[in-house]
Amino acid sequence: MASILGYSFIFFFTIISVFYVIQPLFLEKVKYSVDETNLSLKREKTILYRSIKELEMEFDIGNIDKVEFEKRRNLLKNEVSIILKKLKKK
Amino acid sequence: MIAGAVCVTIFWISWVTIFPSDKTAMSMFVSVEELLDKQISKRTKLGGLVKTGSIQISESNQLNCDFILKEGESELSVRYTKTRPDLFKDGAEVIVSGQLMNGTFYADELQTKCASRYEGDLRNENNYKLTELVQ
Amino acid sequence: MTPLAGSVALNLALGFSIISIVSLSIYTSNNDERINLLGHRSALASSFLVFLSTFILSYQLMISNFDIDYVARYTSFETPTMYKISALWAGQSGSLLFWLFILSIFSVIVILQNQTKHHKLMPWIVISISVVQIFFLVLTNFITNPFKPTDTDFVIQNGNGLNPLLQNLTMAIHPPTLYLGYVGLTVPFAFAFSALVNKDLGSLWIKSIRRWTLISWLFLSIGIILGGWWAYQELGWGGYWAWDPVENASFMPWLTLTAFLHSIIIQEKSGMLRFWNMILIFITFTLTIFGTFLTRSGVMSSVHSFTESSLGPVFLSFVFFLLIVSFALIYIRKDHLKSAKKIESFASREGGFLLNNVIFVVLCFAVFWGTIFPVVSEAVRGTKITVGAPFFNQINTPIGLILLGLTGVGPLLAWRKTSNEKIKNNFFLPTLISGILFFILMALGYDAYVVISFSLCLFVIIAIYMEFYKGAKSRIVRFNESFFVALYKIISKNRSRYGGYIVHVGIVLMFVGFTGNAFDIEKEFGLKKGSSEFVGDYEFLLTDITEEERPNHYAWISHIRLLDSQGNIVEDLYPEKRVYFHENPDINKRQPHSEIDIHSTMNLDIYSIFSAIDANGTAFLKIMINPLVKWVWIGGYVLVLGTMIALWPRKEL
Repeated sequence: MASILGYSFIFFFTIISVFYVIQPLFLEKVKYSVDETNLSLKREKTILYRSIKELEMEFDIGNIDKVEFEKRRNLLKNEVSIILKKLKKK
Repeated sequence: MIAGAVCVTIFWISWVTIFPSDKTAMSMFVSVEELLDKQISKRTKLGGLVKTGSIQISESNQLNCDFILKEGESELSVRYTKTRPDLFKDGAEVIVSGQLMNGTFYADELQTKCASRYEGDLRNENNYKLTELVQ
Repeated sequence: MTPLAGSVALNLALGFSIISIVSLSIYTSNNDERINLLGHRSALASSFLVFLSTFILSYQLMISNFDIDYVARYTSFETPTMYKISALWAGQSGSLLFWLFILSIFSVIVILQNQTKHHKLMPWIVISISVVQIFFLVLTNFITNPFKPTDTDFVIQNGNGLNPLLQNLTMAIHPPTLYLGYVGLTVPFAFAFSALVNKDLGSLWIKSIRRWTLISWLFLSIGIILGGWWAYQELGWGGYWAWDPVENASFMPWLTLTAFLHSIIIQEKSGMLRFWNMILIFITFTLTIFGTFLTRSGVMSSVHSFTESSLGPVFLSFVFFLLIVSFALIYIRKDHLKSAKKIESFASREGGFLLNNVIFVVLCFAVFWGTIFPVVSEAVRGTKITVGAPFFNQINTPIGLILLGLTGVGPLLAWRKTSNEKIKNNFFLPTLISGILFFILMALGYDAYVVISFSLCLFVIIAIYMEFYKGAKSRIVRFNESFFVALYKIISKNRSRYGGYIVHVGIVLMFVGFTGNAFDIEKEFGLKKGSSEFVGDYEFLLTDITEEERPNHYAWISHIRLLDSQGNIVEDLYPEKRVYFHENPDINKRQPHSEIDIHSTMNLDIYSIFSAIDANGTAFLKIMINPLVKWVWIGGYVLVLGTMIALWPRKEL
């Protein structure tokens, strides 16, 4: 009795897993549609904003001098504006 | 600078490998037979079994212990005068480090087969705690 | 649930893992989303089947089904339920299944989390994880199957039982903690591999694996510290670290991973060191496999494993496979890994990190060298030379001290370059104060390493304090906050940076503890009831010896009164000599065990071992006075705290 239960259990999970895996083959053929570049641009923007904040903190603490700070902040701001332009185009 | 740092440390590692400061840093692993044949007096490490019934603990000082180490056919008497590991007993697999002097091996380190490998042979019925086995 | 179901589930899991690799490789060339979904689903199915078989094995352990070899070997009816479950990772085949189990959990998380976030990288990420999964599935299916039936022609009435040394809470959780660290590293490895295949050299994926890397690092650290703690409390030789190959196996990936955690910051900030970071993460992952190999195959005649097994060659082949594939890929992509920028000055944070990286890797190499030296010497010269702890201590002490020093120097250097004036300003205070300590300790005649170590510890602490102080002060000036509010804000707004500093404080405290080793005292002696002996500044008086029979063992308990030099009672210590399985008629099956007792203070630990008792009632004791050991554990707590702060979630990207 126990062995019958055991075998049907094995049969059961084998069928379920096989069906779960091959089920996509019965679907319509589709191409991936989510715009990945848009997503990654947004993430890059967030990272740049964070970098600017961190740079400001470094300046406040006194780890970098004013000239250096402004040079680097302008660089980062430029990068942000490029990304913002790209995002607008979409 | 990086290359310099690497060179210095490589030099340091080889230096310590060739001239270790502590004599216990490295020891040669030899067989009991080899040790007795060549009468190696350098510091060595040996492996083997504790001969059953050979453990003699001094009456006056329980820390003094003599036993016979068996490896294959070769036998060697060993003296060890420190705290013995818990698993040290007749038939135990041990590794000793020390030096051979006048036919006796003076060990300053004694390790027993580690407990995390607690694997009895299931084929041997004597290995069971409850020996009432049903055929 | 029959054991057969467990076996079948493992077979199927292997099949699905292979399907997942095949279909995802097809997808990368034909871009058919159905095949992609099929590949992901078969990876998921494989993971769930691994869960299933793990649960079946746990269940069999719980119900003590001794028809399964593994269950009979590692448990008995008397084994407490908790340790029946922990027996899952007590033996070889079970622990490999457990490895696989954790990997499957991570695989499911990665697949569910990153389907859309890293759509392009996912196929190769899943392929990489599946390759590792297949390796462990091959091991558990064909080489050491945990569901193997018992190989006897009689019915087993009771199993071997779990070793009493392993029946300890720390030992029950130490392996899973280490495994979480080891296995977690598969994920950064898979991301790095996929990024390299896809020529994605942006910093996004690096951000995504930061958490995985840090969590793995945390578990690896906790695992290593727990192992030391267990050795100290249970093994009774008075130390916490013996440079045993198995310990080294967990320490080596920890070293390269620590290097990676530092150098990846440079890559995030400036895009440099891509090449180096790839090498580091591949080596780290290979070392985790190599570590599992060292722990489980028994190639090294180590305290942990004497017996040889058939596992060795298979593991070693996989290690070489990983190395060859990874480095071939790095070689093919070498042009993409070049970075335009160069480090401007060595007197910069980048320069400091780079030096720290080199030294971490060198330290790892030194440990590796010492670990494999016996094997190498046997192969090359025919004699097996074993390497002991003094070798490692001699090699690693100076390297460790340089690293400790860098921990202090790093925060004092600015990014890109530090002006001479800044160097003067930043270094003045810490150098002055630690210099004073240096000369005081020298005058007191301490050992050179001790003097250097304590001075460096103070140097680092001051440097880190200055960082916190400067950060808080900038907020006080800018936002007019009170000191503590400013301190809180500066930490919570820059968790990874200040969390990192707190980890450094933890490391410094641990170094204080390591340095205490230089002052260890050890003495062995016999005592009769009522007599006493002096060790260091303390007197040990044996007041009584009692005996007690407990459920699973018999114990002799010595009562030692600890007195200080003025004769005041400090504490009573009760080290025990126990015999487990004391009712076993076969004397060889009885297992003696020394239960130590420790008087522990911030200054020193007094460690007592009851080694033997003779017929006249003389108790033989071993006493060790280990200064500053407690700081190792305190440092461990601080390290965990710092990592938690760094890990505390912020807005997801």
